Amino acid sequence: MAPIIKVDNLRKVYRVGQEKVVALRDINLEIERGEFCCVVGASGSGKSTLLNQLAGLEKPTRGSVSIGGHNISAMSEKELAVFRQHHLGFVFQSYNLLPTMTAVENVALPLMFKGVPKAKREAMAAQQLKKMGLGKRLKHKPTEMSGGQQQRVGIARAFVSKPEVIFADEPTGNLDSHTTAKVMNAILRLTRENNITFIMVTHERDLSSCADRIITLKDGCVLRNEKIENPAQEFEVQLSPMDEEYIAQEKQERENSDRNNAAGDGQTAASPDLKENHV
Amino acid sequence: MKISDLLALSYENLRRRKGRTALTVAGVVIGTFLIVIMVSLGIAVNVGFDEMLQSMGDLRKITVYGWGVNGSEVQLNDDAVAQMSKLDHVLVATPYYQPRYLSFNLVAGKNDRYQTGYVELYGIYPEALEMMQYELKSGSYLPEKGTVPSGNKPKVQVVVGEQLGYNFTDTKKKGENAYRWQGMTDAAGNELPPFVDILSDTMTLKSQGSEDDKQLVYQMDVLGVLLQDNEKGYETYGGVFMDLNVLKKLESDYMRMNNIKAETTNTYDQVVVMVDDIDNVEAVEEYINDELGFQTGGMSSWREQMQGQSQMLQLILGGLGAVSLFVAALSIVNTMSMSILERTREIGVMKVLGCGIGKIRTLFLLEASMIGLTGGLLGIGISYLVSFALNHFAPFLMMSGLGNILPMYGSKISVIPVWLSVGSVFFATLIGFVAGILPAGRAVKISALEAIRHE
Repeated sequence: MAPIIKVDNLRKVYRVGQEKVVALRDINLEIERGEFCCVVGASGSGKSTLLNQLAGLEKPTRGSVSIGGHNISAMSEKELAVFRQHHLGFVFQSYNLLPTMTAVENVALPLMFKGVPKAKREAMAAQQLKKMGLGKRLKHKPTEMSGGQQQRVGIARAFVSKPEVIFADEPTGNLDSHTTAKVMNAILRLTRENNITFIMVTHERDLSSCADRIITLKDGCVLRNEKIENPAQEFEVQLSPMDEEYIAQEKQERENSDRNNAAGDGQTAASPDLKENHV
Repeated sequence: MKISDLLALSYENLRRRKGRTALTVAGVVIGTFLIVIMVSLGIAVNVGFDEMLQSMGDLRKITVYGWGVNGSEVQLNDDAVAQMSKLDHVLVATPYYQPRYLSFNLVAGKNDRYQTGYVELYGIYPEALEMMQYELKSGSYLPEKGTVPSGNKPKVQVVVGEQLGYNFTDTKKKGENAYRWQGMTDAAGNELPPFVDILSDTMTLKSQGSEDDKQLVYQMDVLGVLLQDNEKGYETYGGVFMDLNVLKKLESDYMRMNNIKAETTNTYDQVVVMVDDIDNVEAVEEYINDELGFQTGGMSSWREQMQGQSQMLQLILGGLGAVSLFVAALSIVNTMSMSILERTREIGVMKVLGCGIGKIRTLFLLEASMIGLTGGLLGIGISYLVSFALNHFAPFLMMSGLGNILPMYGSKISVIPVWLSVGSVFFATLIGFVAGILPAGRAVKISALEAIRHE
């Protein structure tokens, strides 16, 4: 089977003042359809740059990236926009939901860019959100949701148009480990169900326990490119005793503040809901 | 992406920055309001001119005089009149002949008790009366081949103005009682009719001259009565029209009887040319001046001169408004730039999610245009209110000294025609659009990478 993503001699050089910084040195990669792929490495290893290159957010200095046989390095901005509409999805570290829009509207955004009529795209978005366990949050604005909920909206947005490839840049970077597990499992389930290629950049190695492929970068080079034969089907949080103590403490604090809020400004109707959905 | 989605997005973006949007819109409102009100003042002056001129006569009439443009010798005779009537856009050209050696007194009643002293008598081509668009109140126009007065009690066919009766004075009374005028009432408030009923009483034309002159006496045969219309001219009030040839014959009879020797009167002092539309008057008048060489005195030459003045006024006033709209445009640029700066990340996210750069440009142009449109609509709304108030309180304002600053020729201070209100809203929207071009260009240049950047 032909690989869905093919990277040929990819090189990216940034110019910082007079100096040249080589972020990626002649990278060659192939990623197969339906793979759950983790890109790991220390900060400064070039993993974010690689993701930007794979997604066509930046032009390479040399070499090319092709997705599904299309050379995206040669595309104009306009062609890229259309290509993204039809083939790519994104999950961001800081969620990047549009603050004025409700959850449904945010999820429906990629469909709107595609020209799907309002009623249809919002129905699709609502369905996707229900799958993510956010059926009660459809009309909520991002500021009315917790980080985990926001990120699940972000994931729903990436999956709603059933793209071939989804890119994620530290999708759990802003989440606690318990929430991370929930979010990761949601992603895993959706990618496997829909045979979507998922490429995730992370600096937490234990996130890659479920990956089909782990690409390790160092100083702009591929250090290792491992194909995992039998990855774990579910992601589990490995907690140290210290973590557990911390989580318990935090949970206690949150409950206290919830109680205070409920008593303080009379939002009794909203707060039990918040607690129960707080992932 | 559909236009309805773009509109909804733009609207939402404006709505969430209510305060800032409102301030920016206020700038456009003020600019639009100033332009509209200023221009409306100028237009009111123009409309006032037209009202004033119209009360002086039909603006489509050109009066051609029997002398040259630069005092040169010209012959304003039947040939010249025929030439004029053949011009494009000319409905009819006819002499308005007033005899040089003969004037009539119009008398009525027993022993000529009621007299007019002088009568505004015109000899015209009989068929021209209808083509001059005088409306009849009753009766008919002059026949093309009228009867020539003859016999013992000769009758002369005439068409007269509706209120000719009011021209009569009672020779038996003195002071105010000798007169009747239109709208005059007695002590009880009943309207007083003129002394003479032009339809039923017998009216007689008597020539005036020195005492030993032989007198011509004709009974008037009133064929038709013209509907009084001050926009058409005084002749519809108290004029007497008769066939040009009949009038000429009366004059030559009179001259022969009294041995007046003079050149034959085959030229005219005054010819009236009727043009089909007010906008063609200028061209016809120019032709008569330049090609035929006759001096003219159309109302339109007045009108032009006055319009030139008011255009100047409009230009100055409108210019003041334009400056404030320009300032408003700058504030739109500022607002949009700020808004784009704040939304850098959002724009990046939209790009990553597959929003084309064309759509992003459209989005911001729409936002800027919406500011312009809203400002324009509110501006014109306020303009109408202020215009209404100005006109409503016009008499008071004029008295309180504003009249020294604002010329008021007609009944209104401010007139907002439809073209001005539609035009100003369109212009305000255009201003918004143009002001949006630069910021929108900047938004388009924002990199998709902005979405990835961590805080």
